[in-house]
Amino acid sequence: MKKRNFLKLAAGTLLVSGIFSTAWAQDTISIGAVLPLTGPSATVGEDIRRGIELGVEHVNANGGVLGKKLNVIIEDSGNNPTSALTAARKLATVDKVPAVMGEYSSSITLPMAQYLVKENVVHLNIGSSSNKIRELGPSAFNIIGLEENGNRFAAKDVYDLGHRNIALIAPNNAYGQGVAHGFKEEFEKLGGKVTAQVLYTGGQSTYRRELQQLARANPDAFLYTAYGHESAVINREGKELGLRNVPWYAYIMSMSVSDTPAEIAEGQIGMELGSPTGELGKKYEEAFKAKHSEGFKTAFNGYGYDGVLLMAAAIEKGKGTSPAEIVAGLKAAGAEGFTGVTGEIKFDDEGQRIDPPYDRLKYEGGKLVLR
Amino acid sequence: MLQFLVDALLRTADLALITLGLSMLYGLIKFPNIAHVQYAMCGAFLAYALNSIGLPLVVALVLASVLTGVLTLGVQLLVFDRLLKSGPAIAMIGSLAVSMVLVACVLGLAGSFPHMFSMPYTEPLVFGGARISKTQLWFVATTVVLLALFVLLLFHTQIGRAMRALACNPALADASGLNARRITNGVTLISGMLAGLGGSMLALSTGAHVNLGYDLLLPVFAAAILGGLGNPLGAVAGALLIALTETTVTNINFGPLFGEYLLFLPVSYISAASFLILLLALLFKPYGLFDREVRRV
Repeated sequence: MKKRNFLKLAAGTLLVSGIFSTAWAQDTISIGAVLPLTGPSATVGEDIRRGIELGVEHVNANGGVLGKKLNVIIEDSGNNPTSALTAARKLATVDKVPAVMGEYSSSITLPMAQYLVKENVVHLNIGSSSNKIRELGPSAFNIIGLEENGNRFAAKDVYDLGHRNIALIAPNNAYGQGVAHGFKEEFEKLGGKVTAQVLYTGGQSTYRRELQQLARANPDAFLYTAYGHESAVINREGKELGLRNVPWYAYIMSMSVSDTPAEIAEGQIGMELGSPTGELGKKYEEAFKAKHSEGFKTAFNGYGYDGVLLMAAAIEKGKGTSPAEIVAGLKAAGAEGFTGVTGEIKFDDEGQRIDPPYDRLKYEGGKLVLR
Repeated sequence: MLQFLVDALLRTADLALITLGLSMLYGLIKFPNIAHVQYAMCGAFLAYALNSIGLPLVVALVLASVLTGVLTLGVQLLVFDRLLKSGPAIAMIGSLAVSMVLVACVLGLAGSFPHMFSMPYTEPLVFGGARISKTQLWFVATTVVLLALFVLLLFHTQIGRAMRALACNPALADASGLNARRITNGVTLISGMLAGLGGSMLALSTGAHVNLGYDLLLPVFAAAILGGLGNPLGAVAGALLIALTETTVTNINFGPLFGEYLLFLPVSYISAASFLILLLALLFKPYGLFDREVRRV
């Protein structure tokens, strides 16, 4: 008897939820996002998620898209390429979303986006910076600065600061090699010189020897990019070795000072992906603080927000939710220019943002400020 | 040049105490204990844990050293004494297993993220262009004092003579009425304490992290073998030689050979240099550089 009751209940639930989900599907438009919500990049992942959430809220408060509510299905990648692929597959085949945003690490975004493009799903990059993002294919778009832009920006900034001889240290992985190689190329185009360069092995507890090798070049300034804890070691040992008597320039600065004591980081200069700017950016920042009761953790949330708003605009412009219509919509929006909180977004022929924003920063009084 | 010497000295200090203990213990138990470097790692984490619950730094270091000594003795009595009955090869493989278990335990308890001691930043001392931080200076000074004490112990006391006798000829020493068991346990305790102290002092500047032991494994064994396993002071000399080699290779500029201004060997390949030396030593002087001293008391 009991068993039968249970079966009835289960069947009833299934039926109701089936009806409910169909009803849900009829008046909402869903797109997907894959983010590192757990694992070592969880802080960034959560920050982007908050941006996306606020974006969805704003789109729906302004009437949604094509008269329906917008919904973003967010999946966790766990900072793992395999989980990210599984998540993307679920979004594409179970939820049948026409477009997916994310991930954060280039090494995860690239295989995931390749899969999505092959499955004829639109991909929008909101977090990765590898130059290979450009080569993903016709249904892939990007609104964040890639290495090539970052290298050009940093090279010009360092040159403008008057430094000509640079010693460079970066992690020995795809990202670090890209920065080391690209920066050198851009900097030497301007007439500067990278006199010494070290690619360090991640996760070590001391980088004293690497730093001593660099110091032999007697540079005008050091350029470095390193992950939180590794930066902390490099900053401290650099100071102990007396190398921080010349300027240190941090490439993607937020991660270079995040774990470093304030007394060592004080006065540090560097660059970072552009944070929300202008009137729109200010309003966004206030709304973000009001909703999440704390400010921005990273520079990435603005790209999550802009991603959602751009997608909504593209669906409106393409007048439909099929991948082909969204691609057409994104191209149209990118051609006339879309104003987001990170500035104006325009796409080139390959669907890449033209002149993505960067900020010049300085660490002052315990926090990062514009310089 | 001065900085070069300072760096070589610092690197020697990194290796000396741990190598000393390893070599000394080898003299008595006659098997290379791979887990020895993991005792240093455990010492580092113990010191960090004790320091972070509020003990003064020096107390934390000493206590961590004693606890590591006890741990070493415990493992020796519970595991290696039994394994040694099946021969040194079995014991060595066992020590590899113990080493992995220790790393797994620390990884489980403390995580893979390195732990930095919370110490205020102090300006390093500068003399003649060379820089050395105060922590490093203390490290070197402590190492030198301990080495001096050890020399006194080994060559000017009854216990020292007993240790040397036991290392040289266990059967004869036993027949002469020396209590081999007690001496071996004592030496095990001391070598564990030295490893713990060496590891925790190393962690003062690099942080306590789970790879501390593995990073030491190759240079420490190279130094011990170079000095002649079982010859404690030879091991310290071996450490000095390894440190000099590593520092030299770090500082050689290969740039002119390749038409660049500066080009150095990547640091991750530098330990290969000490292995080259070790390989040459094993080929031409298989008992280490000081083999005559190894074979007599």
